[in-house]
Amino acid sequence: MDKERYRRQTLVKEFGETGQEVLSTKHVVVIGAGGLGSNCANLLVRMGIGRLTIVDFDTVDITNLHRTSLYTEEDIGKLKTVVLQDKLQSINAKVQVKGINQKVTKENINALVKNADVIVDGTDNLPLRFLINQVCIQHNIPWVYAGVYETVGMVMGVVPKKTPCLQCIAQNIPEHKSGETPVLGSLPAIIAAIQCTETVKLLLGKPLAGLIIYDVWKQCFDNIDINSNPNCPICGKKTPRVR
Amino acid sequence: MFGRYKDVTEKDKVQLEITEGDTLWHVVDAFIKQYPAVEKDKKFMMVSKNNMYVSYDTRITEKDEITLSPPVVSGG
Repeated sequence: MDKERYRRQTLVKEFGETGQEVLSTKHVVVIGAGGLGSNCANLLVRMGIGRLTIVDFDTVDITNLHRTSLYTEEDIGKLKTVVLQDKLQSINAKVQVKGINQKVTKENINALVKNADVIVDGTDNLPLRFLINQVCIQHNIPWVYAGVYETVGMVMGVVPKKTPCLQCIAQNIPEHKSGETPVLGSLPAIIAAIQCTETVKLLLGKPLAGLIIYDVWKQCFDNIDINSNPNCPICGKKTPRVR
Repeated sequence: MFGRYKDVTEKDKVQLEITEGDTLWHVVDAFIKQYPAVEKDKKFMMVSKNNMYVSYDTRITEKDEITLSPPVVSGG
């Protein structure tokens, strides 16, 4: 049944039956279940990831519906992790899906990520992304950053000791602006699909694409090849520590 | 140029008036002077020197390749 299920995917020469077998042994932790996290989790489960854990502390809100694919009006008020666990499990019963209803903090993040092969960033703020970056570098766990704003999305896979980390590219960070982030409804699904693909490539040991920038309005796609910063306070010579 | 900067400038590469030994701050200022539409990104642009994102205080030489990209985005 599994061979039939993934037949069209295993025909892809970059992926093949070997890729399918490898993917079925891997565990991905998705942090955040909004526009990016829920769409990326959906794709990973459909593609045949072995195990998926999704962490979030929020409930489904009507403002989530314009940019997500799995939540419906009936889900409003329910915990996102509970809704996703049920729906993702019904999409692919072979995948071990687990929802964890927790806010990720520096106190609990180590326990949440320790058994992951890759962490997927579905968060909505930079401080949490920097925490994920720091912990992943410290524990040698690859992770895939993604962010969206208005019509622009960015994706970058981070492999400790091999690629630049988030801090390497973000020497100058915009100040935190309170209020809602504007996001066009079609953007997160596209960026999550790119993020999912980079995640799968990471899991299969394939080379990544560097920093990807996509503008869905202008249909403008950029791929920037960058180097690690040897003076980076997180992945440079100094060993990072979570305080 | 990357992202919407390519759209703003309508070019892949732009010429800026820079003096040997200037810092990346000067590059950003010169870019904004030439393209005021990007002024809101001042302080937050991703500026790389020879494929490495570095501090705005970094000095540049004639042979350095500089790229300018829009700020890191953080919504989810």
